[in-house]
Amino acid sequence: MEISYENTKNCKVMTGKMALPNQYFAGRVGSKFIIALRDENKILGVRCEKCDKVFVPPREYCEKCLSKLDESWVELSNEGVVMNYTVVNYNDKHLPRRAPYILALIKVDGADTPFPHIVEGIDVGDVKVGMKVKAVFAGETTNTIRDLDHFEPV
Amino acid sequence: MAQYFGTAVEDIFNTMEERFLPEGTVDVDVTIGYNISGEGGGHWKVTIKEGTLKTEDMDGEVTDCTAVLNANAETFVGVTLGKIDAGEAFSSGSIKVDGDLTVLIAVLPKAFRPFKPVVKASSIVESVEERFRPEKAEGVDIKIGYDLSGDGGGQWTVVVKDQTCALKDVLDDDCTVVMRMEAQVFVDLNQGKLDGATAFTSGQVKIDGDIGAAGKSSSLFEKYVAEGAVEEQGEELISLKCVPSINQRYATGPLMGTWFNGLKEKKFYAAKCPECGRTLVPPREICAQCRVRCNELVEVGPDAMVTLIDVVYYASPDPLTGKIRETPYTALFMVLDGASRDESFAHDLNPRDIDRIKPGMKVRPVWSEKRTGSYKDLLYFEIAD
Repeated sequence: MEISYENTKNCKVMTGKMALPNQYFAGRVGSKFIIALRDENKILGVRCEKCDKVFVPPREYCEKCLSKLDESWVELSNEGVVMNYTVVNYNDKHLPRRAPYILALIKVDGADTPFPHIVEGIDVGDVKVGMKVKAVFAGETTNTIRDLDHFEPV
Repeated sequence: MAQYFGTAVEDIFNTMEERFLPEGTVDVDVTIGYNISGEGGGHWKVTIKEGTLKTEDMDGEVTDCTAVLNANAETFVGVTLGKIDAGEAFSSGSIKVDGDLTVLIAVLPKAFRPFKPVVKASSIVESVEERFRPEKAEGVDIKIGYDLSGDGGGQWTVVVKDQTCALKDVLDDDCTVVMRMEAQVFVDLNQGKLDGATAFTSGQVKIDGDIGAAGKSSSLFEKYVAEGAVEEQGEELISLKCVPSINQRYATGPLMGTWFNGLKEKKFYAAKCPECGRTLVPPREICAQCRVRCNELVEVGPDAMVTLIDVVYYASPDPLTGKIRETPYTALFMVLDGASRDESFAHDLNPRDIDRIKPGMKVRPVWSEKRTGSYKDLLYFEIAD
């Protein structure tokens, strides 16, 4: 039987829901990072002395030289720069905001690695790479990285 | 039984066997005598030889050992629990050792796990008034019943009202909630060895009455800390539980659409690669080896030959429902009749055939009565006798 790819006679769309019971353990390093966001509104990172690199969010081992980093904490600025961004244009209930919203890679001052977070307080069309932003912390804790609620332009 | 720091001398000797670490005593051959004076004291002889342990309760003074330890009961328990400094006890003479002192220092820490006081359910319940947090009980008016069975069990009612807490050692009829469990389960829960939700869902804890009240009640009390135990101020660690539900949308395209409609007619369709001629089951639009589009569908099966069998004893949750399916179940890899030999198709096996299934066997599909053109139309395969 020949079925060309233009033949849509049998095409259909199937929908479903995927429920994934999850348990996430932040670990010692991840817990300290979240607790600092939550209790002190501070962004912490870890420094690898050997590679002269500051990781945010912190991780236990340096990705380059595999040194253990869990003792070398550094406190970073609550301000940073948009390194890159995307605009999320669809809605789904697991997403943190209603569309459209800006998801940006932000490198806070003093860090060498950017991490993704939400940028608010600006029209989605006006966000620019290189834009200075500052952290706004959440009023209520969720014990996640969203204790840092979003970034907004300085 | 005389107790010091909440522990009797006997407890220490009675738990030696469970605390013994055979791997730490492979090259050891010693006997240690204990003459413990005072109330609750006694005489014990402990023989450790090449990974084995013998503990004897002796009638009189123990002599003739590699080392003999003499102390009064309070000092002995205190040093064992770390409440009394061992160095001081030696230098002040309240512990005396005859024989080879180094045996105690070198062998004992490797031979035994540290002694931890035995916690009783009753001591946890009886401390409830001290552990009460009035500031958390504003507007709370509940009666919590505990019905603990087994060794060390009992029945109690904790009355929380007007920001006060009172304990009664009977189980009242009008409790807001009654929690029933083995006393040991209760101890484990209070010591953080067992998680509340796990204990409840696994049926180890039965809750009569207001389940919500049972959940909230834990915040009304400080955590229980056993007498004699050093309270560890552990660092806070974050662990999150969540069940994200993600909407899925799958567009079949023409080939998979035909595959699903084929299931409705009890037929399997494979795509045939125009270059290499192999069949792809279920059909794919592109042959990944030749990188050409497959437009031709051929019918294969419905019977198949088994090539590989995976028996699953530990199931991960079903992504569609979050339920853990019944184990064991079998993932069957098979070549449908007429399909290429190296293109196996995977599906379930009828659980009743698990014990008999072998590679090379012929199997046949079992179809759902009502078929709609979905993956649910095909139930499983079974051995074709």
